[in-house]
Amino acid sequence: MTGAPRTTALGLRAANFAPRAANIAPRAWLVWSLAAVTVALVTDNPVYRGLVALVALDVLLTWLPRGRRLRRLAVAVLLSAALAALIDLLASHTGADVLARLPDGLPLVGGPLTLESLAFGGALGLGLVAALLAVAPLSLVLEPHDVVDAMPGSLERTGIAVATSLNLISGFGRTFTEVRDAQRMRGWKPGGFRSWNEVLVPTLLTAIEDSVRLAEAMEARAFGAGRRTSYAASAFGAREAVVVGAALAAAILFVGLRILGVPMDWDPYPTLSSPPIHPLAVVGCLGLALPALLGPTARGRAVGGRHG
Amino acid sequence: MRRLFLASAILASLLTASLSLAAAALAALAPGSPLAAPCAAAAGNRAALVVEHGDGSVLSRCVAFGTATVTGEGLLNSSGVAWSGQTFAGFGDAVCALDAEPARYSVCPGKDSYWAVFVSSGGGPWQLADVGISSLTLGNGDAEGFRYVPSIGAPAAPASAVGACPGAAAPTPAAPSGSVAPGSGVPSPSGGADPGWLVAAGVGGALAGLAILRLVARRRSSDT
Repeated sequence: MTGAPRTTALGLRAANFAPRAANIAPRAWLVWSLAAVTVALVTDNPVYRGLVALVALDVLLTWLPRGRRLRRLAVAVLLSAALAALIDLLASHTGADVLARLPDGLPLVGGPLTLESLAFGGALGLGLVAALLAVAPLSLVLEPHDVVDAMPGSLERTGIAVATSLNLISGFGRTFTEVRDAQRMRGWKPGGFRSWNEVLVPTLLTAIEDSVRLAEAMEARAFGAGRRTSYAASAFGAREAVVVGAALAAAILFVGLRILGVPMDWDPYPTLSSPPIHPLAVVGCLGLALPALLGPTARGRAVGGRHG
Repeated sequence: MRRLFLASAILASLLTASLSLAAAALAALAPGSPLAAPCAAAAGNRAALVVEHGDGSVLSRCVAFGTATVTGEGLLNSSGVAWSGQTFAGFGDAVCALDAEPARYSVCPGKDSYWAVFVSSGGGPWQLADVGISSLTLGNGDAEGFRYVPSIGAPAAPASAVGACPGAAAPTPAAPSGSVAPGSGVPSPSGGADPGWLVAAGVGGALAGLAILRLVARRRSSDT
């Protein structure tokens, strides 16, 4: 699976049929991602968040199929983290160690810029990084139909509807660009608020038309009529059990430590302090690292996994 | 299947190493160990409470409690000093007004001034607490201090608790200015390297090393 995905005569993406590295059942990936996000967000301690981010990066690098790149994700993740740190630095003026001072007359950002608010913003950004990397396998390692397969049976139709709606967002953007370019060629120029009606109305109508067409196509393919195939659902074997067990143990450990009142959070105000670290919580983060140690099997690399 | 066993063995080794470090850390803090703080009898324990207002006036109380330890909030409640606070998720209860200062408030903590919380353990120096008073734990001979300080700048420690609890250990007047508060808000009894940090550094280093190895492997495989 190298290069851009090709489109076949049937309109299906050739990449969907290429060998995949995913030979852990999608449902196990879903549980792993949810557990990792729970661990990353149940506390605002930057050390735990950093460990989760490292674990998720290891897992991604282990399971990322050939031909897929991390560059776009890395750029998006780093920009999000930097933005979070910058916003907190500019908007929060609490803290003892003043780095610089903006004129008080400036709305919102005026006042002292402190080391503590920068550190807190950095911790927020690290949480974003950890959470984004934790859910990245669902889009980078799995195929979209794998994600739908990972949903519980009762939520399958909801999952398809949500996935379809999300796909329409990018379509909406494309339609907007096309309509705007077409209107420009007809002499339209962007002016006031009213002038955008000439672009937004056709875009909206096209989007509705696309939605209706998609719904008709899905209905024609018997969407909602129940399963008509004996195609085997993904197997849940020893690897999946180990991955899910370790991930759930990590999440339960973090939630349990929090309920028991063990200091987990970090508050840098009013003066910077070192985050509290519980050795057991660090060990819990290791439970999430199991997929990075397992890696795809040779069979998984060759034929696309047991469920493929 | 062989890979599964290999991975389980690696993970088990890592877990064993980390658990050993964790157990060593917990054993070092267990009662009776040289690093453990002295634990007094449950009955007749006392802790000092010091409140220093913005105008410099100081209120001191000696509060008795029947349990082995008491939370900072419990000590404040038992002292009889009027206070009001607000709960922050992940932080605990923050003191918004104490002993009628400020008389009224709309935001907590205050924009210009706030109540900084300090703890003295076993007669040690005041240490700035970075958790809410509901998360603070105090024992016999400890002291809890409050000082109404400006929002900008390092908060100064309150007045000494010497004499507030006769017979109990008293803290020294103030910690060095600009000192970094420990993570738990209570001074570490050992004063050495935090075992949690040691475990985190080891695990983080191993994970970072694994990520670098994977990156190098991917780069090599894409080159070929």
